[in-house]
Amino acid sequence: MSINGYLIVAGIIFCIGMLGVLMRKNLIVIFMSLELMFNAANLGFVAVSNYLNLIDGDIFVIFVMVVAAAEAAIALGIAVAFYREKGTVDIDKAQELKL
Amino acid sequence: MEALFYVFSIIAVFSALMVISMKNPLTSALYLVLCFFALAGFYVLLDMQFLAAMQILVYAGAIMVLVVLIIMLLNLSKIKKIKMDLHQVFIAMVIFIILLVEITIYILNGSLKKPTGIYTHALINKIGNTQILGEFLFTKYIFPFEVASVFLLVAIIGAYLFAKKKY
Repeated sequence: MSINGYLIVAGIIFCIGMLGVLMRKNLIVIFMSLELMFNAANLGFVAVSNYLNLIDGDIFVIFVMVVAAAEAAIALGIAVAFYREKGTVDIDKAQELKL
Repeated sequence: MEALFYVFSIIAVFSALMVISMKNPLTSALYLVLCFFALAGFYVLLDMQFLAAMQILVYAGAIMVLVVLIIMLLNLSKIKKIKMDLHQVFIAMVIFIILLVEITIYILNGSLKKPTGIYTHALINKIGNTQILGEFLFTKYIFPFEVASVFLLVAIIGAYLFAKKKY
């Protein structure tokens, strides 16, 4: 399969993840959509790295995984703190900064 | 190979759509695991079996277990009642379609430069992808590797602070 196929699949998954971030109001689902976007970027890295016969893109994927793991811990901690404060994970309830 | 690529892409795109459209976050989480498995299949097709294993262990294993655990801690029947705003969905759809068309046009019309590296399919399979990744990680990318460990420590402290009752 040529590289274009992989890149288009990565692009579609990235767009779906972005759609999820924009349209959902559930904090947990938004977090999962973010993970989708991370993974689409990873697939792009691996595909281009494979096409160019390099390894650097694959190394970068490992670092993206590290960042995603750290982000998961922090984001879910925020979700729990938010739930404890408001009794829900609806992001529309987070309006204290609104004038 | 060709057939496997289409199978994996259909699974990945379908499960990604399911992740964002399901009402129950637990269903979304399970579809996300399916999507991660399909992406691991892509990595195997691209000669990176080690990354496929990492994808399944770290993402489908560790991160998704964390997500499911948090969903368990929250009140599921209350979460399921969160409604989507139709106006917001419409705007999101418009942005989605514009971005999708844009990305597709750029990918189909763009041109990549010729391959420059030496790590071809044959060489990676001869040495072994895990050994190559390890050599790169501990020689050329040793500084980012060490920074990543400090970064994980910061994340541990941050998660502890957020989970505490009073800040």
